[in-house]
Order: sequence, then structure tokens, then C-alpha cells
Amino acid sequence: MIRVDKITKYYGRICALDSVSFSLNEGERVGLLGPNGAGKSTMMRILTGYMPASYGSAWVGQYEIHENPIEAKKLVGYLPERVPLYEEMSVKSFLAFVAEVKGIKRREINSKVAEVVEKCGLVSVYRRVIRSLSKGYRQRLGLAQAILGSPPVIILDEPTVGLDPQQVVEIREMIKDFGENHTVLLSTHILSEVAYLCSRVIILNEGKVVGDILVKGGETPKEIEDVFLKAIRAGLENLEKGA
Amino acid sequence: MENIFYVAKREFKSYFLTPVGYVMLGLVGLLCGIAFVLSFLTYVDISQSPFQYGYSSVPDFEETFLSPFFVFCGILIMFLSPLITMRLFSEEYSKGTIELLFTYPIRDRDIILGKFLASLGILTLTVCVIAGNSFLLLPYTDIEPIVLIFGLFSVFLMGMAVLSIGMFVSSLISTPITAGLVSFGVYLVLFIAGNVAEKMPEKNPAPESLPQVLQKIIENMYFVVRSVMLELPLDNHAKNMALGIFEPKDIVYYLLWTVFFIFLTFRSLESRNWKG
Repeated sequence: MIRVDKITKYYGRICALDSVSFSLNEGERVGLLGPNGAGKSTMMRILTGYMPASYGSAWVGQYEIHENPIEAKKLVGYLPERVPLYEEMSVKSFLAFVAEVKGIKRREINSKVAEVVEKCGLVSVYRRVIRSLSKGYRQRLGLAQAILGSPPVIILDEPTVGLDPQQVVEIREMIKDFGENHTVLLSTHILSEVAYLCSRVIILNEGKVVGDILVKGGETPKEIEDVFLKAIRAGLENLEKGA
Repeated sequence: MENIFYVAKREFKSYFLTPVGYVMLGLVGLLCGIAFVLSFLTYVDISQSPFQYGYSSVPDFEETFLSPFFVFCGILIMFLSPLITMRLFSEEYSKGTIELLFTYPIRDRDIILGKFLASLGILTLTVCVIAGNSFLLLPYTDIEPIVLIFGLFSVFLMGMAVLSIGMFVSSLISTPITAGLVSFGVYLVLFIAGNVAEKMPEKNPAPESLPQVLQKIIENMYFVVRSVMLELPLDNHAKNMALGIFEPKDIVYYLLWTVFFIFLTFRSLESRNWKG
């Protein structure tokens, strides 16, 4: 469903991604794990067509994202890290707008919006202005706009960051629930989260894939922990050298 | 094409979900109203005793009152328009919502034209506010309604060109206030450049001590620079139109500005896709 082939991304002289390759099969739930600055968000931004890669190609379905951006974007629902929302709009009008630009047929908009509102627990705030929503509800709304129209691929950039423990549990349940029928790629730096939500973990460090590990039974495999901690230690050593 | 409409609808509604739309319409209404009353009273004074004001007879109403009023309205919109344009892209950049917009399956064309259409919607409302003042004259004067409509059309065209410049500036800058200030600065420079050019002599012969070829080059360059500067102020062509004089070149002039800056906005957004 997703194929990444030797993606490299430079920000000026800084190499954020260095020849990264991986692929995701249909229905797979994959976690992109890595310390801060590993290149997770950059990878996701390239896959969603927000920015181009410097080199390499990425396919969503059968479409190369840079060559067929519109077709590829139709297959993807995306939740950015900061959950940017149009603060002045109401939940209702925002979701209606998203449904329109995602190309959902006019007669289906109300039912599709109602469906995600129900799924994401937004019924009680449906008519509220986004500005007045709590962080938890904003995150739910971000998820709702991502899954609206039921795109086959869902990309979530640190979906639980900044939430309180109760909200984290709720959002994880939600992701687990809709992840049953979609291909999900989510980034995080929380080990227990990937173990709970994902069937596979790709570990990124300093723009490179340093591990690609299968997860079974909701436990954090020792292998993930080892590779992840090694990556963090290497990062710290580099920082010390730089200092 | 439907997406243009969806983006425009959202953008237009947002103007009135925030104070921006109301402030813009309120300011235009207030300032144009004051200008209308003051200039009308002045015209009444002049027409009662034209000799005192240096006229040999009662001056032409359209030339003395109507045309300057419409040009004033155009200039007012020019300097207030950053209120509208600064949010078009800069606000999306600063709030991060551009990341969502760029990852939805819509083309840059839909985003740019949709946003521009929404700003034209606000412009149309401001022209309606100005029309409210102008049409008050109809029962008391023998002005042809077509003259008024043409004057209002000149304000609209001028506003349209101004909005396209503002939208381009907004697509380059990620903080709304800075985008607004830069747009304001651009309009001011255009406005001043034209006034400076008007005061420059038509021909500026180069010093005779220079070789003749060099003299010719300098004179031609001077001519070109002055001609370009004279065309820069956006209100110049509106003056003719506001008198009810129909010349296609005036309309083409505003359309060219608009198309050029919409094209630049396209390039500006497209630049994010350049592989770097």
C-alpha cells in the first residue's frame, strides 16, 4: 500500500533522511519509532505530499506521490503533529469543508460526517467553535478529519503527544478501532504505544532505518527496546561530541 | 473546479467569523461616508460661488466631485486591503493549517483561485457600501446611472489588482502582520513612484560632454524609466474610468496586474515542490 524507495531529504546541508526504504502491506499497522529529530515527521510529510523528497520515490497505492499527487492524496488521511485547525470554524462546518475538498459526494457528506463524529466521540461538541475545544477534543477532531471519507491509508504524526493519560488511552483505543480496516502508519517515541497499536515497528535514527521489527502479542519486544535505546545513546554521544 | 468554490466559501465565511470582514466594511463605510459628505458640501459651496474658488462658471459635477470621490475610494481600499490579504496565506502558514490544505486532494489552482475569489467577495461588498453613498445622488442630480456604475466598476478593478498583489505578498511571508505591512509598503511605493514621475521633466537631456551614443542611451533609458513609473500608481487609470470614459486599455491595465500577480502566486506556491 505504501512503498518508499531510497528517499533522501536535505534541509539545506542537513540530511534529514538518508536513503530510506520500506514498504507497508494493505491492512498493516506500522509504527515509525525514533528519537526527536530522527526524521519521522519529514518522512510523513513526504508521504502525504506536503513536501518533496530531494531524491528517491514514494508510492501510495499505485501512485507516485510527486508525479500523481492528487490521486495519491485521495488515498491518504493525515493527522499532523501540531493538529492545525481553523479555529474560527465550528466542528460541523470544518468537517463539512474537509468532506467537500476530499471529494465526498454532496448527498453523502452529512452521513459521512455523522459517522466520524460518532466514531471520534465528538457528538457533544459538534456545534461548538473549534477555538473553545480542549486539547483532547482537538486531537479527536484532527483524527476525525483524517479518517473522514475512509481513506485506505491513515498517517498519524505523534497522535497522543501532549495529552493527559486518560485522553491518551481514549485516542489509542480509537486508533486501534479504525486501524482494523486501514493501513496505518503512525509515528511516536513511546515504546509501549507502538507495542500496543502496531504489528510492526520501523525504527529511524538520524535519518536512517536502524530496525524493522515485527510485534506480537502487544508486548514490547526486547529487540525494539535494544535498538531504540542504542539509537538514543548514539544521539546523545553525538551531541556530546558536538558540544 | 468545484474545489475553488469550496475553498472560496470557507475563506469568505471566515472573514465574518472573525472581526476582519466587519472592520473592513465598517472602515470603508465610515471613511467613504465622511469623504462623500465633505466633498459634496465643498462642491455645493463651489457651485454657489464659483468665482471665489477660481472657476469661471459652475464646475462639472462629475469632474469635480464624482471622479475624485471614486478615486479616493479606490485608494482607500488599496491601503485597507492588507486587512483582507494578509490572512490569505500568511495566516495559514503561521497557524500550520496550510499543512492540512496541501495534503488534501486539491490543486494549487483551487487554493489560489478560491482564496482570491473570497477576497473579491469582500471587495464586492465594500463596493456595495460605496454604491450606497453614490446612489443617494440619483434623486437630486441628473447623472446617468451608467456613469455611477462605471465609477464603481473602476473602484472594483483597482481593488482587484491590489488584492492580487496582496495575495502574492501573503504567499511569501509567514506572519500575517508582516505580510500586511509589506503589502502596505508596496502600495505606498507604487503610489509615490507615480507622483515622483509626474514631477520629473518629460525629457532629461544627458550632459553634452558625453559621447552622442551614450547621450542617446541615457535619454532612452530615462524615457523608459519615467514611462514605467507613470504607470505604477494603480489609481491613474481609474481616474479616466471614474469620469465615465470607457477605454479598453484601462480595463486591460488592471486585468494585466491581476493576472501577473496571480501567476506569481502560483509560482510562489509551486516552489515548495521544487526538489531541494
